[in-house]
Amino acid sequence: MAQTKPVRRLYELAYGRAGDKGNIANVSVIARSSDAYAEIKAKISAERVRTHLGPLVQGQVERFELDNIEALNFVLHDALDGGATRSLRLDGLGKSLGGAVLYMPVDEDES
Amino acid sequence: MLRIGSAEGFYGDDVTRALPMIAGEHMDVVCFEALSELTLAILRRDQMRDPNRGYTRDIEIIAERILPLAYARKIPLITNGGGLNPTSAAEVARKAAERQGLHGLKIATVTGDDLLARLGDLMAAGERLANMETGAPLTLDGPPIVTANAYLGATPIVEALAQGADIVITGRVADPCLYLAPLVHRYGWAWDDWDRLASGIVCGHLLECTGQVVGGNSLALLDEIAPADLARLGYPIAEVEADGSFVVTKTPGTPGRVAQATVKEQLLYEMHDPRAYITPDVVASITTLRLEDDGPDRVRVSGVTGAPRTQTLKVNVARLEGYSRELIFTLGWPAVYRKEEQMCGMLAAAWEGLPITRVETQRMGQDSLFSSLAPAPDDPIELIVRVLFTAADQETLKMAVRRALALGLSGPAGMAVSGQSVGADSRPLLGLWPALVAREAVEPHVGVTVMEVA
Repeated sequence: MAQTKPVRRLYELAYGRAGDKGNIANVSVIARSSDAYAEIKAKISAERVRTHLGPLVQGQVERFELDNIEALNFVLHDALDGGATRSLRLDGLGKSLGGAVLYMPVDEDES
Repeated sequence: MLRIGSAEGFYGDDVTRALPMIAGEHMDVVCFEALSELTLAILRRDQMRDPNRGYTRDIEIIAERILPLAYARKIPLITNGGGLNPTSAAEVARKAAERQGLHGLKIATVTGDDLLARLGDLMAAGERLANMETGAPLTLDGPPIVTANAYLGATPIVEALAQGADIVITGRVADPCLYLAPLVHRYGWAWDDWDRLASGIVCGHLLECTGQVVGGNSLALLDEIAPADLARLGYPIAEVEADGSFVVTKTPGTPGRVAQATVKEQLLYEMHDPRAYITPDVVASITTLRLEDDGPDRVRVSGVTGAPRTQTLKVNVARLEGYSRELIFTLGWPAVYRKEEQMCGMLAAAWEGLPITRVETQRMGQDSLFSSLAPAPDDPIELIVRVLFTAADQETLKMAVRRALALGLSGPAGMAVSGQSVGADSRPLLGLWPALVAREAVEPHVGVTVMEVA
């Protein structure tokens, strides 16, 4: 049987925090080093984040780059079941979405 | 240098963290940011029960415990905790000040953000109040609108400070603008000095969530902050120079940590386009700034840039769309998935004929936070199922709970029902409608009144 390589998740390269505004969530992905930032910037596209999050995000995903602090910011539209004031999600504020993004495999073939 | 302390980040935060800041004279002004999107709707419920309420009750703690110390040291306090009723909040503060003999204390009230009574007139005058997320124009029919507040900027607070206010109590002033106001007051920054205004806004953004910039809610410092210290973090302070650059630090001698990592985490909190952080006073960019270490628990921020403010203000309109309840069922081995099927099918049949508008089930511990990110185990030892259901009225939900519980001896084998979920109140569901309104439709209605304690 082939040895399975452990999946390298984004959390190894970055930390981050999620925030909410209405029905839009954002997740920062802040690189742990300059090398990590270069790799994240090259590999973690908005499309990949959207696919990874699946039904958690119903709308589009935007990606913004902050070279000055070596971080990316992902804006997740229609991602909170209507927003904290009406969401039926356990986590209506989307605080856990940071972890959801950081759970993503760094390399595409490991998704 | 002007030192700004931050001692509240939401309604219910521990505002007494201002006390060590003031006692140690570590700052020159303290801000208390109390309003989230949800807070105003909660305050409306209070106000419907008692017209003299509608403010955050943290004001009472601030007036009783913090104001005397701050007044003695001439440290002004600024808060948007007046919520929907800054006037009544100011009255509460006045009575507390009088009781404590704070003669000569000046209380300023800022009003004019509440557009609820003006919505019809605004729309008749051509304001579409189109939803910022969908583009649809607002209509007044449909579920009742319970709040409609514009986000005001720093201007009225600056005016209040210029009149010598010792405490400024406002309604929906945008969070970071509370912190910008004392800077404009102190340094006389022009209202088109975009880079400096933006610097003040970014400073406010970093401070406005109190614990979140000193190690709270921090993944970066997960292993570095002792668990007990999270309960007594020293709240943040910024030391701001006339050119707008500033150092973020915290109350000396208290737990917590300020590092570039905590500053980065908070910089991007609730941020959309980092080149255009839109506030009533300026459009700030956080893509040009630099962070530098400036000693232990000190991070210097410089190089913030800004662009001209927009011609519109944001308004949040909230509608009461209905109510929800939840029941939490825990199923024990064996065959938990079959039992889940039994339970859901049983509830659907029991609720037939009730005007329930939505039913959702979530498996807590499996998919309730992360949906399908990880595969579900084949034969779990326990399964916690959270069932949520909504209706236009609370009676329907009570009836639904009653019918569910009547099946106590008929349901799946080996099922526990959380007693707390059975006894809970229903929760109001509020649909938010973020929109834009012309400045000139709001700003002439903004009022600043100052009263002096006899």
